[in-house]
Amino acid sequence: MQNITPNHRLNDKKKLRPKNLNLFTIRLPINAVVSILHRASGVGLFLVLPLILLAFQASVDSPSSYLLLTKLLSAWYVKLFLIGLSWAFFHHFFAGIRHLLQDIHWMTSLQKARFSSRVVLWLVGIAVIVFAWFIWP
Amino acid sequence: MLIQLLTNKYPGMRLWLSQRLTAVVMAVYIVLLLVALLIIQPADYAAWHAFVSPIWFRLATLLFFMCLFMHAWLGVADVLKDYVFNKVLRAYLQMAVDVALMLYLFWIIYILWNV
Repeated sequence: MQNITPNHRLNDKKKLRPKNLNLFTIRLPINAVVSILHRASGVGLFLVLPLILLAFQASVDSPSSYLLLTKLLSAWYVKLFLIGLSWAFFHHFFAGIRHLLQDIHWMTSLQKARFSSRVVLWLVGIAVIVFAWFIWP
Repeated sequence: MLIQLLTNKYPGMRLWLSQRLTAVVMAVYIVLLLVALLIIQPADYAAWHAFVSPIWFRLATLLFFMCLFMHAWLGVADVLKDYVFNKVLRAYLQMAVDVALMLYLFWIIYILWNV
């Protein structure tokens, strides 16, 4: 029982620990990068939900609204936005699958988790390029 | 084990599992949808409308969006708890998110009903 630290000593130790919360000097490990981007892309996807619903509604509502939507979607700046959106989707999708696999204890060692992070980033990059290739013409 | 964890004693466990299950449902729907779109390739309004119209497609899409809203609700709640420390502000933001997601649900039902 003698190695239990009294509470006040624990607090003192906590105060002495170096702390760095400067976002410009923190270098996140690749696992953390994939994780925080999963969160950021999720928030992004949540924020564009009304646009997605609006676009879906326009696509099925009538031939004229469908035509209007296709015209809108063919503008280059809208396509750029769609490519950005596709990044959010693909990152959330692939990083999410990685998290699900980790939930069932697949590839959870540090080394394997780093490897799967790299795989996720590559898959996202390839998927976004394929998507851009698909919609640009 | 799992069943034990899902009892009232561990309410967070059910939320955790809901987030995962909705994710799996959405992933399956999206992959199937992409495959179907690549095979059929609806090129104009008539083809797209015919693609969307079947009742089973609309029901599957409704299921997808219900999972999406549930998933988003859980995810956004976690994000708000992590970054918004003012409890009153967080409660208001959460309420705004709840209302928005409820409206989205009615909206998508309205859209799918009128296809």
